[in-house]
Amino acid sequence: MRPIRSVFCLVIAFVLAVLAGPAVLAEDNDFFLYAGTYTGFKWVHHSKPYGLGESHSKGIYVSRFYAATGELSEPQLAAEVINPSFLTISPNHRFLYAVSEDPLSVGPPLDHSSYVSAFAIDPANGKLRLLNTAPASGTSTCHISIDRTGKYVFMANFGSGSVSVIRVKEDGSLGELTSFIQNVGHSVAAIQSDPHPHWIGPSPDNRFVIVSDLGMDKVLIFRFDAATGMLSPPGPPSVSVYPGGGPRHFTFDPAGKFGYQLSEMSGVVDVFAWDAAQGTLTTIQRAQTVPHDFFGGNHSAEIEILPNGKFLYESNRRTLSETERAPDTIGVFAIDPKQGTLTPVEQSLSGGVMPRNFKIDPSGKYLLAANQISNNIVLFAIDSNTGRLSNTGKEIKVDTPVCLQFVPAGR
Amino acid sequence: MKNIHNLVLIALVFVSVPCAWSSPAATGEYFVYFGTYTGFTYMKEGLPAGGSNSKGIYVSRFKPATGEVSKPELAAEIVNPAFLAVHPNQRFLYVATEDPLSLGPDFDHASYVSAFSIDHATGKLHLLNTLPTGGTSTCYLSIDKTGRYVLMANFGSSSVTVLRIKEDGSLGEQTAFMKHVGHGKDPSFQSQAHPHSIDVSPDNRFAVVSDLGVDKLFVYRFDAASGALSPDAPPFVEAEEGGGPRHFVFDSAGKFGYALHEMSGFVAVLAWDRASGSFTKLQDARTLAPDFIGSSDSAEIAIHPNGKFLYESNRRFRGPNLWGPDTIGVFSIDPVKGTLTEVEQVPPQGTMPRQFAIDPTGAYLFAANELTGNVVLFRVDASTGRLSPTKTELKIDVPVCIVFVPAHQ
Repeated sequence: MRPIRSVFCLVIAFVLAVLAGPAVLAEDNDFFLYAGTYTGFKWVHHSKPYGLGESHSKGIYVSRFYAATGELSEPQLAAEVINPSFLTISPNHRFLYAVSEDPLSVGPPLDHSSYVSAFAIDPANGKLRLLNTAPASGTSTCHISIDRTGKYVFMANFGSGSVSVIRVKEDGSLGELTSFIQNVGHSVAAIQSDPHPHWIGPSPDNRFVIVSDLGMDKVLIFRFDAATGMLSPPGPPSVSVYPGGGPRHFTFDPAGKFGYQLSEMSGVVDVFAWDAAQGTLTTIQRAQTVPHDFFGGNHSAEIEILPNGKFLYESNRRTLSETERAPDTIGVFAIDPKQGTLTPVEQSLSGGVMPRNFKIDPSGKYLLAANQISNNIVLFAIDSNTGRLSNTGKEIKVDTPVCLQFVPAGR
Repeated sequence: MKNIHNLVLIALVFVSVPCAWSSPAATGEYFVYFGTYTGFTYMKEGLPAGGSNSKGIYVSRFKPATGEVSKPELAAEIVNPAFLAVHPNQRFLYVATEDPLSLGPDFDHASYVSAFSIDHATGKLHLLNTLPTGGTSTCYLSIDKTGRYVLMANFGSSSVTVLRIKEDGSLGEQTAFMKHVGHGKDPSFQSQAHPHSIDVSPDNRFAVVSDLGVDKLFVYRFDAASGALSPDAPPFVEAEEGGGPRHFVFDSAGKFGYALHEMSGFVAVLAWDRASGSFTKLQDARTLAPDFIGSSDSAEIAIHPNGKFLYESNRRFRGPNLWGPDTIGVFSIDPVKGTLTEVEQVPPQGTMPRQFAIDPTGAYLFAANELTGNVVLFRVDASTGRLSPTKTELKIDVPVCIVFVPAHQ
């Protein structure tokens, strides 16, 4: 009996392997969609109770996304981690780095560091395996990105007003702190009494690093040395946005000719010409995203450009009064291919409440909007000619989703 | 001739080899390292902070038996080595370089920490590596008892950080970061938190941080396996309001703690409960005469190796260009109660005694006067604690830190 049973097992295994084959050897437009979340805070955040203690999230979730059909699988827990509020993917798609925002903080007079964790991505099922965790060297770390070589991660530490750089080792795990810069300054609004870096990322050629500081109303530019991981001031001169604007997220256009800075409070997108040789930004346009007849509160959040470079998207978390939210939108703008300037196309409802983050899929056919309060990730189809969004009616439920990233699946 | 020359060389090498092999013979002599400010490239705290001719860390050879000190030589060229700490194995020296690249607002570049190996024959320092401290205006660093972590106080950016020390003495990844939030009573110096010192407890289970900006002594649990800091319960003890705690020292038995307050000049005497990591205030010892009007700017605090006497320095200031009288205060320690009784206040033979150090044998005290650029040797009377100045004085530009390392033959 025993040999026969073994043979039988082998046959079954072979059949299963053949069946599983097509899934493992995925199509080009088959992706893992990762959702970073807040799992809740032990104390009030930025001295304000945000109601985030209600989240049932346990960490980072993964869904399989088939770009050919727009199919989204049921999200599964990819890794258990506290407050993975921003994620970034290594250029080789093998590693994911997650901020862990203030997991142990107890409030004044001392504030524990945020952390950053390195994970290896399982190419078969998208599950994440923890490699190691290190302090971010700052508090309320709200953004993380990775340099073009995949050897350094950049962190914006909103709470303590600093930016930090940590080396990535050969095995994807995190090494030593290679750079630390404390921003110094303030601006006009109450939240701007201290510097608050909100975004950090490399220039297309990896020679400069851009930092959006919401507290200083400035976009700072540092030289970046990829041999040592050092940020070196003085970089090229910084540029200011209109006082009280609050620069939050920044993006370059795919051709690397223009820079777009979204300011959270004003809702303005500052359009800059990027001089890649000098590393300077020159203001071209201040595009307003808030309609002229809207008189409520505005908190713009995420900004992204379609891979074809023709359209720009930005999300807005709006309030009509202290208690009344709406309308939460994703704004669509056409980009002038020569000038880089923006022309409004439409403001599309985000399909939920508080679209803090969204992501365009790598094929450029879909946009997924993460609504933080309504706990849903909504799928929009993009019209590549007009840029317009149409809600497909498809959505997945994830508690407190605040960051989305794609990784090609099965390779 | 050439052959003979070679033979002589070979003979010399042969003769010297046994010395190199033998375990380093203690000579009873020490290398004394002096940290300095080499100058800032910008205005520091509103004052022009250039003017130093120092080039880095200096070293002298010191014979405690005779009190002889050699002329200081440059041991390592480095910008603003404002604080030094010696590894427990005496083979490595760690240096905080304060804001070497800073340009002032809009941003402040990190301070750095450098690891050096010590040449025990010459006292020269060999750079191993340099990393950011994770903060600005790093003014203090210390090594944990296992020698596997360096702990730093980042005065400018209100944080304390810990970096791992690798087997070869070089610096590795950051293992802890804590940010202090708040302010104190004095609007000019206490508008934000300013950690000024960090030291592990004698049993290596806790780390104590003096925060000059928020008038608190923070107590963290220290995990020597991971290098992590976590808040103790309670996480801090209140210091004197407006006092500005600067430096802290445990007594050798680990029963008492002494917190020197820069602004008020008081030394808080605290009973240390080493099981729970908590303090109970026993005494506020005054270091200033009651009729003194001005600021104390107390700086350094140390206990004599015999455990009987406490020393603290005061950089007094009575108004614009009215320095002094600067002193080094001597106090006797009650062996049972830990409390302090003043013995004397001694002029440091210079201006701004920011730092001093007692040599490991307890025979001499070196006082570093920052403004006058001199280090003065005092004889210590081990039975009374009293200081008497010797004629020995070293000229070093802006000396601000002193450490000792045993010299080998």
